Formats: sequence, structure tokens, C-alpha cells
Amino acid sequence: MRHVFNALLVVLLSMSLVSAPSKAAPESGASELVDRVQSTLLDVMQNADQLGYTGRYEQLKPVLISSFDIPYISRLVLGRYWKTLDHDQKTEFIKTFIDYGIAATASLFDGYNGETFRPANEERLESGRVVIRTELVKTDGEIVHLDYLLHEKDGRWYILNVIANGVSDLSLKRAEYTAVIRDQGFDALLAEIREKTAEYKKIAAN
Amino acid sequence: MNSQQGPRSVTICLWLMILLLLGSGASAESTGSEAAEADMPKAAAMDVEATEEDAASSNDPLEYSFNRPSYNFNDALDRAILKPIAKGYVAITPQLLRTGITNVYEHFAYLNVILNDILQGKVDQTGSDVARFIFNTTLGIGGIVDVGTAIGLPRHEEDFGQTLAKWGSGEGDYLVIPFLGPSTARDVPDYGTSLLTNPLFYISIANAILIPVAAVGIINKRANLLDATRLRDEAAIDPYTFTREAYRQRRTFLIYDGHPPAEDYDIEKFIDDELELEDEEFDDILLIE
Repeated sequence: MRHVFNALLVVLLSMSLVSAPSKAAPESGASELVDRVQSTLLDVMQNADQLGYTGRYEQLKPVLISSFDIPYISRLVLGRYWKTLDHDQKTEFIKTFIDYGIAATASLFDGYNGETFRPANEERLESGRVVIRTELVKTDGEIVHLDYLLHEKDGRWYILNVIANGVSDLSLKRAEYTAVIRDQGFDALLAEIREKTAEYKKIAAN
Repeated sequence: MNSQQGPRSVTICLWLMILLLLGSGASAESTGSEAAEADMPKAAAMDVEATEEDAASSNDPLEYSFNRPSYNFNDALDRAILKPIAKGYVAITPQLLRTGITNVYEHFAYLNVILNDILQGKVDQTGSDVARFIFNTTLGIGGIVDVGTAIGLPRHEEDFGQTLAKWGSGEGDYLVIPFLGPSTARDVPDYGTSLLTNPLFYISIANAILIPVAAVGIINKRANLLDATRLRDEAAIDPYTFTREAYRQRRTFLIYDGHPPAEDYDIEKFIDDELELEDEEFDDILLIE
């Protein structure tokens, strides 16, 4: 499973794909968004130590929230169960999901080992969505394919998914979350995600 | 090589045991289906039809009857025995030695890659991989040093499951095999080709060193996965489902030799009518405090 999990690592790392608020333009193209995200990603990795976990969390928060279409992603990851929830439950899920995503990212982006990104290549899909393909190059020459799926909403591009060496973060979460709801119910899913969030915080504190 | 391959053949000392277990697993499956249904959580499930639909759409009909029990067995075995041994091994073995050991096992498994290069009609890659094998055998001293990668003959990842996919075979049911882990019906035959193309198998059988050779291979392989499984444990909410989806996606990626069509990335398949119609507002919680 080594490759699978290497890929997973990258998925998790790239979850935070972030643009520093100072650099962010209010409207941007898909490629520009990914470029900004990746340069900021490097920034966060390089400054991981000075920032510490809390610093990383606070810096990532606004950026994550503005780069990903989180309500839309939430619908996708909950699949058919989304429409069985009332507005309060949906709100609760989104809040929990955001906190989890930021915590995971802040926990995993805890250092830098000389990684660089290669320029992106953009493909427009029939649906109008866009796939941006990039490569993360490690110091030992290993290449990780990092692909992004984006859509446009109200004149702005948002990331919907990150695919690392073929492993889709969205598909993984959708499969997991719907399985947990199916087997244990929605409240159990919320509890599980919160527990994972707490674990990331604990790991980072050690 | 994917996770399930690598030094797959080193697990051969378990091979007969596994076949036996698979046999008993199959019978347990038929007799145990009622028990499995009883195990299947239903109180919390949103509705029963959805459960069946999920099982069908996830192409995992053996999930409750066989795969989850098998997953739990493997997981328990790993936590109790294999993982602690692998940690001890990492603690007492220098990185350089572990790299050499990994290289040797991957080298002996590489004829399976070449076989499947040929079966898939990949002419250039066959040439590159044959040259790689020769260089690593000679200059690389029996595969200890990965000379090939250094001189521009990279390691490829091919196996008989990918070949069957190229030939048009569907994925088949997802399987969790006791002792071996995730697979699919299409990937199972590769255990045979991996074993039969591996010189290490014949060498160690002939010299009655099969068990130690297999043991080192298994421990070394597990050691290489320690970081990965730690990440999985940190990230996975439902490790069984997580593993299944990651395995399948990884396999698809390999079948496309790392270049899946962009359209495959689209999410049309996830969208039902209700999703697009719905336009609830959540701006209140997205405001950055």
C-alpha cells in the first residue's frame, strides 16, 4: 500500500491549498488560483516551524475557506444523504468539515523538504469544469501528479477536488462518509470527524 | 509496483495457508450470510434500500459477508504481531541496509513486470525493463543497488491485473484476502504470475530457506509501510472503505500508466438532480471571523 498512502499523504497535504490573503485577487482564473495556492503551499511548508500548529491553523483558515467551494463539496461528499438533512444539520456538517480540513492541513504541513511544483496545464471538460494538472517534484526526483478539479461560480473559480497520483480526495471522503452514515447514522459521522480533528490537534501538540 | 506486488512472492510461505483460508472463507461466506445480515447495522441507516444501493454501487457485494471480517482479521494480526516486529526491525536496521533489502526483493519480483510489459505489447518499455534488470543484476550486484534508476531506466509498475484490464477485463468484486490485503477478482491471478516469475521463489525452495526469506521480505515490506499506515490511521474515518477506494483508484491510475483522461475526473457521476436544484445559502458560516 505504500504508493496508495504516499498518494494519500499528498492529498492530505494538498487539502490546504491556500492562497495568502495578501496575494489573493478577488477574481481569478482557474490556473491562477492553483498557482497561488501552490506558491502559498510552499510558503506555509517553509515557515511551518515558526508558525507552529496554531499559527498554521489561523493562517490557513481564511485561505482554505475562500479557495474551496466548501458547501458544494459538502453536498458531494454526503451524496444522497445530503438531502435527508435539515438546514441546521447541514450547517453543523459544514462547520465540522471546515474545522477538520484546517486541522488536518495544519497538522500535516509541518515542514519542508525541498519540494517544488512544475507549471500547470489546463483542460476544460465538457461540463465546463476545469482540470489543472501539476507535478510535485521531490528532491530525490520522484514526481507526484497533483491534479485539481475546479468550477466557476458567480464569476469566481473554486477548487472542488484534489487528485494525487490518481487518488481523489473527494471520492475517498464520499465513500467513507456515506458508509459511516449508512452504518451508524449522521450523528456518528459528525462525532467521528470531530474525533479526528481532535487527534490532529493532539498530534501537532506533541 | 503497487502495494500488493512489490515483493509479493515473498509471501509464498503463506500461499498454501491462504488458499486453505480462502477455501474456508468461501464456505464461511455461504453459511455465514445470515449472521452477516444480522451484523449489518440497520437501525441507524437512513433507509434499507439505500444500503443495498450502496453495496451495488460500491461493487463490493462481499463487504459484510467476507471482506470486512477479513479486513478486521488482517488489521488485528498486523497490530498484534507484524507492526511491532516491523518497528523493531526499523529500530535496529540502518536505512541503507533496508534500502538494499527492499531493492533486492523488488529486483527479483521484476520479471513479472517484464512479462506484463510484453503481454501488454509495450515494446519500448520491455526493452528498458530488460536492460534495467540486466544492469541491476550485474552492476547492481544481484539487485542490491538500483543502478537502473540512476542511469535513466526507471522502475515501472506493471502486473497481470493491469494486463487483464488492458485486455478488457472488468474489475470484478473487491476482495480483502486474509494475510494479503486488498485485491479484486481481476487482480488475484497476479499472485500466480508474481510467484512463478520470481527467481527468489525457486532459489529459496531449492535451498530450504523459504521461510526466512519470506519472513524478511514481509517484515521489510511492512516496515516500508509504517509511515503510510500511520497516515491512514490519522486520516481514515472508516479505514475499510478508505482502503478500498484508495486501492481501486490507485489501480485505475496504474492501468492508465499515470495519465487517466481528464474527463474521468469530473464529478457528473456524483451529481443527482436534487443536488443541482438545491441552492441553500451557507454564507453565514463561511464568513471569515
